[in-house]
Amino acid sequence: MMALLLSSTALLAQDTATGTINATLINKSGIAIVFDTDPGGVTLGNNGSSAATLNFGTISAFGPLSPGITRPTVLPASYTVKTLFDVQVIEGGLVTPSYTLSAQLAAAAPTGFTYAVDAVTLTTVAQTIQANGTYNTDVQHSLNLTVSTAAPGSGGPAVGIPLTSTINFTATSN
Amino acid sequence: MKTQSSFAIHMLVVLAGCIVFSSGAWGQQSTAQLTLSLTVQSSIGLVFQNNVAVGSTGFCPLSNSGTNNVGLDLGTASFSGNSDSLACVAYARIGGATYQVSSAFDVLVTKANTSSPSYRLAAEISTAPPVNVKWLVNNTTLTNTAFTQLDAADFYGSLVTKTLQVQVKNNVAAGPLQETITFLATAN
Repeated sequence: MMALLLSSTALLAQDTATGTINATLINKSGIAIVFDTDPGGVTLGNNGSSAATLNFGTISAFGPLSPGITRPTVLPASYTVKTLFDVQVIEGGLVTPSYTLSAQLAAAAPTGFTYAVDAVTLTTVAQTIQANGTYNTDVQHSLNLTVSTAAPGSGGPAVGIPLTSTINFTATSN
Repeated sequence: MKTQSSFAIHMLVVLAGCIVFSSGAWGQQSTAQLTLSLTVQSSIGLVFQNNVAVGSTGFCPLSNSGTNNVGLDLGTASFSGNSDSLACVAYARIGGATYQVSSAFDVLVTKANTSSPSYRLAAEISTAPPVNVKWLVNNTTLTNTAFTQLDAADFYGSLVTKTLQVQVKNNVAAGPLQETITFLATAN
């Protein structure tokens, strides 16, 4: 009797079950832009994201500037303040060799200001900044603000009031 | 007729499929936003420049002209010698026991983002000079205790010629005389 019971247990332990998962994945190609702080520029807020902030601090034609901000020119009618920032375009699943970077102001520049990325003056219409950017590496760009020296109300910028502007960047795979 | 129509629709679908495939491989886009912030501050700037007559007597060249930190060499002078080693320095006897050396230069003050119509100009020497030595600008004696006003209302963007003078009495011990003279422009 004991022998029969043991034999029965052994037979039950041999039951098996199998299952199959048929997995599929669509690896979609895509690109993403992130802004990175440049070693020679101002420290970005939300560094490494696609929605970064860049604070020039208090700027003037002759006064001190924040770290990472330079003043390449002071002319009778205007002066320019400049900083550096990096753009990295990350790609996945693409076979394209490079990307085109364009930029535009989200709204018209405040009175007395002209914005430029590298040598390209920005408007509310997209302008090409770089036609052959390399993926997955920081590419340095300069942001140049040319400020009129005119007094407020005479064509110059508002003084003592914090101003903000947004630049929209678009990367398009070539 | 019906057959032709179906064929046309079929071809359209295939073509659309190609376009979708094509967009998947090229023309990928991504956007990002960079938000800038800043505050503009009004400011004025001061630089020293060589006078148009630089090189002639009374107008020595500045080193680093065109900046706000310049040098001015007034050479070597003595009461007994009745002259200065540099031809550009104006040398003169004042009274019976004092000599003066002088040289003129220009001050240029510019403004940005301000409606200020004019500025005040003042100057101060860095250290008290030896007894019987005076440092003056346009005949106004400077001190190291406070800024001395030179002009009450100069115009921005206009060159203002200033003459630096050093008056030395004949009983002053021989040796170098040196001062750092700070000019202060204040917007009116």
